[in-house]
Parts: sequence; structure tokens; C-alpha cells
Amino acid sequence: MKKNFFNFLLLAVAIALLAISCQQIQTHRAATKPAPVTVKLSGWGSDPIEQKLLKQVLKDFEAQHPGIKVRYEVISDQYMDVIKTRLVGEAAPDVFYLDALEAPFLMSQNVLEPLDAYITSDFDLSDFEENLINSFKYDHQIYGLPKDYSTLTLFYNKKAFTAVGLTSPPKTWDELRTYSKQLTTDKNQDGRIDQYGYGVIPELARQAYKIGAFGGQLVDENGYATFASAAGLKGLQLVVEQYQKERSSAQKSDVGTNSGSEMFGQGKVAMVIEGNWAIPFLKETFPQLEFATAEVPSINNKKGTMVFTVAYVMNKQSQHKSEAWQLISYLTGKEGMEKWTGTGFALPTRKSIGQKLGYDKDPLRSPFLAGVDYAMPWQAGKYPAAIMNSFDNQFVSALLGQQPLQQAMQRAQQEANKLIKAME
Amino acid sequence: MYQLRRQQQKARWKIKEDLPGYLFMLPAILVLGTFVVLPIIWAVFLSLHKVQLLGGIEYEFIGFRNFTRLFEDERVWIALKNTAQYVAIVVPTQTVLALVLAVTLNSGIRGKNWWRILYFLPTVTSSAVLTLIFMWIYNTNGLLNDVLAFLGLPTYNWLGDPAVALKGIMIMNIWSTAPFYMVIYLAALQDIPQTLYEAAELDGANGWQKFIHITIPILKPVTFFVVAMGIIGTFQLFDQSYIFSGGTGGPNNATLTVVLLIYQAVFRNLQMGYAAAIAFLLAVVIITITLIQQRLFGGEKV
Repeated sequence: MKKNFFNFLLLAVAIALLAISCQQIQTHRAATKPAPVTVKLSGWGSDPIEQKLLKQVLKDFEAQHPGIKVRYEVISDQYMDVIKTRLVGEAAPDVFYLDALEAPFLMSQNVLEPLDAYITSDFDLSDFEENLINSFKYDHQIYGLPKDYSTLTLFYNKKAFTAVGLTSPPKTWDELRTYSKQLTTDKNQDGRIDQYGYGVIPELARQAYKIGAFGGQLVDENGYATFASAAGLKGLQLVVEQYQKERSSAQKSDVGTNSGSEMFGQGKVAMVIEGNWAIPFLKETFPQLEFATAEVPSINNKKGTMVFTVAYVMNKQSQHKSEAWQLISYLTGKEGMEKWTGTGFALPTRKSIGQKLGYDKDPLRSPFLAGVDYAMPWQAGKYPAAIMNSFDNQFVSALLGQQPLQQAMQRAQQEANKLIKAME
Repeated sequence: MYQLRRQQQKARWKIKEDLPGYLFMLPAILVLGTFVVLPIIWAVFLSLHKVQLLGGIEYEFIGFRNFTRLFEDERVWIALKNTAQYVAIVVPTQTVLALVLAVTLNSGIRGKNWWRILYFLPTVTSSAVLTLIFMWIYNTNGLLNDVLAFLGLPTYNWLGDPAVALKGIMIMNIWSTAPFYMVIYLAALQDIPQTLYEAAELDGANGWQKFIHITIPILKPVTFFVVAMGIIGTFQLFDQSYIFSGGTGGPNNATLTVVLLIYQAVFRNLQMGYAAAIAFLLAVVIITITLIQQRLFGGEKV
């Protein structure tokens, strides 16, 4: 009986293997036609206006390059999971978006095409902001060209400032805290504060530069978390102290909102530190709001902020590398970038375009451009998710006073490093 | 002599006789071999290796290191705890609910067919759609909070609170799977001979006694089936918590389930070997619980 069953099993496996091996025979028969080459481009979804603009830029590209067709595909959900899976399955698009945060991991996996060999002198690489290009360098090679970026700046409510007799935005973090105390008011005298001075977003993506302000580091050279150092804690302590002792700052959930720009727009906080994406949102959703932007107040006499950037990268497995490069060089070239960033929802990564479009003179946008040189790129080693999740979980509990900051950060660091160790 | 010749003939004929049989079985063997047997063997192989997926697939034999990592990984235990809690609440509730619904339907309610359709609707709706509908209900500005606000009760952040998020999924799943088991119970109820009830009535049993002493014991094998299927199904909870949390298992790992962890290991961290090890852990848990159950319910009649 047993033997029979065993025989059956063997037979089943043998037949199944046969069936599978038949599949391998028909793969290498792709006919090459001199028809236009199709380059696949993938990105994540964004608002319809942005999508329309990109499609327009792609149309212009196709008009200039009649031999190339671009198939643009939006991956609407779980972008990185989908891209990784497709890279494994050798079905990834030729060109795709890559966030600086995810870049270190993908660059280390030998799946992206280094672009150094393609870059010519008339592409003018030196025109790019160096800080942004560096986010996509690995082993002295460039793997991606940043398409746009956003730094963080201080948004402040002009009306709220004039109401308490303040005329200019805070220049230092101490000033920010002093102003916050003045701006925290209970207008209708019902014993509940209606307006806090400063809206705090307790995520690592918004706090990392504070870790760096006193010389702390997010990750060491081996990619392990080191943010719980004494220097790192010093910067974070500023946030915790203000929230707990002075009670002049609030989180989005404290005031019943869903985002930093929303609590600012609704007037629940007078100051918030946000990215360029907040400008169109505020103008559209809260047209009555009078706000201005300024560079993030300096901490420890050093200017600091975060910079978020996304690049176009090329798939190493691509069948049409030269066409893929033509697409990348058009989109990140002077002409394509001017079209792409001309409407102002994204900032150009080329200095010349920033000047050409007058963003360096624009009162709302010039602080964003000023920040790019000293900003800390939002990257956290090869395994950012482990570091981010551990930090975010623990930092919130420290902010709420459930545990001392040092203990929370030590825990988060251990947790993160345990996860990273398991992944290595 | 004659006997001996028969023996030899038999040996020679055996292959000829068996061949048509195997030929008839060929489609089934093919399908089962390809989609059941091979994947299991492949999973065993994977769970003993560290698999490098990106930039060319490489296997590195690491013995039982994936399994030792399982026991050190906090998230595995959180996921197991969440899943076990989920099973412990959902399976009994949906079984009792299914039985109650089936008995009420069977008792000769008017418009039986309409009730059946009404009950059964959530079961035929796709779970992804149901999840989206429920997320819309649980949303901070959603239906549930609107109703609460209308009644003057305090509103709540149902999706954002770790203590409540999993309960929300439980309620949804009980509501959507109980009717399926109700139909199974209904079929079994039709099979109970009416004469048994009549005999009990002659002995002076009331409705409750009939239910306790006749209906439930006779339904025991069906109950075993329903509970076993329920456990196997609920342990593999994935899609609802995936949609609820956007694939993260949040808030604060509250909706992390074992299958979601497997998904994350494969598609987010690209650790095939480790994912296979988690899958084996899940299989062992389900098999163990089903065997224990078989002891308790004596499901050999099924």
C-alpha cells in the first residue's frame, strides 16, 4: 500500500516536471520587427492634473522621437512591492520612478542600469543640485536622475502672527518655541485651546534633520540604526519638551485632522513644517488662508531641513536601453524638466530651470530652493521600513509621555537593528 | 501447476491492466502534481534556503536557520496571537449564528426563500468589496460615526485604534461567512427524520429539549465539518486585513495576521525562504488544531 502510494507520488512529480519543462522551449522566439520601439514607463498615481501634464510631456517626446513609443502605466497601490515583484519576474518596465528612500536597497541589488556611460557633456550633469544626485549614487556610479524634489519649509499663518504682534517668522528653534507660546490661544474662552502655536508631525521623515542637528546620525555606514545616540536625542528632545512642558504644539490627531497641512489650513495651528505639495493644497482647499513660507528655523546655529526626491531609473533587464535613456534624458533634460515643473507643483532639480522659471525669486517657493543645499536627504540605509516603523511607534509614545525619550529611542533602535540583522 | 501459470500471467498482465487506469487518472495526477505535490516539495526546499531574488536568483543552503529566526521574531508571535484571537472569537460565533439562523429558517417561517437570499447575499459578495464598504462605515467621517453622532453618542476612530481595528474585521467576517455555514446546516436539518421529533413529543419533550437532545447530537458531524472549515478558513485571514491596513498590518501591528506576514516577507522584504518557514508554521498550527478537534468531536463519520 505504502509502496504504491510512493510510486504514485513519484509518477505525479515526474509528470508535473515534464509539463513544466515543456514551457521553457518556446520562450526564445521573439521576432524583431523594425516597427517603433515601445518603452515602458511606470510611476505611482498622483492627482489628475499631474497625470495630464506628464502625458503631455510624453506626447512631446514622442513627437520629437518618431521611432519610440512610450507606454505609460500607473501602479496605483503598493508601488514598491509591485516593482520588486516585477523585477524578480523579469517583467519590470524599462524606466520607472524611484524614491530616494528606496534607492539604496535597489541600487545594491544589481537590478538598475548605471547611467554614467550614457551621460554626455551636453546633458549637463553639473546643472543638477548635487545633494539630489548624491541620493542616487552607489559605488561611485549614478543610477537615477532626479525628476523633481521638495524640501520642507516653515509655513506660518500671517493673520495669526499679526494678531499677537509678530511681524516676521522665527529664525531659530528657540524663537519658534517662544512664538508658539504666544500663538497658543483660547479665542472663545471655553477653556479649550483653539489654536496651537506649532503643528508637530512625529514621523522620522520629518524629524531626521533634528537628529543631525547636534551631530547625530540616523544610520551608520553599515546601515544599522544609530539615532538613539546622545547627540541624536538632543535634537529630538526639543520636540518632546515643547509638546509636553509648554503644551504649545499639537499633533494632527489632537485637533481632529488628517494631515499637517490640514491642521494648518483649518487654523488649528499657526505654524507647521511642510513640503512644496502643501502649497497647491492650501490654495485650493483654503483660499481664504493668508500664509507665507520661510526656511526651517535653525537648530544649534545650523540650518537644516529634509529633502525628498524621486528619480527616473532604468531597468538593467531592459531590451531597449538606448531608447530608455533617450526618454530619461528628455524627461530630466532642460526642455522636459521645464515643462514638467513649469506649473509649480514640483520643484526642478536643475538649477538653471529653477532660475528660468523664477522660483528663486518667488516669495513662497524661494525658501524651498534655499534649503536644498543644506537639507538632509530622506534616506535610511538599505532597510528604511524597519527603521521608520520602529522609530514612529516609539517616538509617539515618548511624545505622549508614556516613556522617557531615551528609553523609547533605545528600544526603537534595538528593534530596528534586530530586523535589519535578520534581513542581511 | 495451473496456479503457477496464473501467477506468472498476473505479473505480466499487471502493467497492461494498470495502464488504462493510470491513463484515466492522468489529468488528475497532472493537476494535483503540478499544483499540490510539487509546491509542497518546493516549499520544503525553499524553507531550508536563503533565497536571493533580485538581480539573478541564488539559493544558499542555511539549514534550519529560517526556523530559528521564526522563534526570535516578535512579529510572528504578534501575528499568531492576533490570528488565534481572531479564530477563537469568529469560529464559535459564526457556528452558533449559522445554527440559529438555520433552525429559524427551518422552523417554517413565512417567506423562507426570501430570508435565505437575504442572509446569503453577504457571502456571495467579494470580500474586497465588503472590506471597502465596511471601511467606509468605520471611517472617522463614516456611517457608523454619523449614526453615533445623530444619537448624541461620542464618535470614535475605529480604524486607527489598535484595540478596535481587529474587532472591526471580526464583525465583518462573522456577518459575511455565517450564512455559508447556515446553508450547510440547513441541508443537514432537512435530513433529520420527522419521526424522531414525533417520538420525542409523545414522551413529552418541549421544543427546547427536542433541539438539545435530538437536533444538536444528530448535527454533530456537520458541526465538526463547519468548525474545521471555519478554523482552516479563519487562520488564513489575509485580504481583509491587507485592505484595512494598506498591507502594513497596522495600526501598531493590530491587524497583522500570519498570511499577511508571509505576504510581507515575500513581496516586501523578498525573503522567500523565511516566508516558506512561516507558511510551515501556519500549516503545523492548523493541522494540530484540526486533529485536536477530531478527538473532541469525533469527526470520523464525516
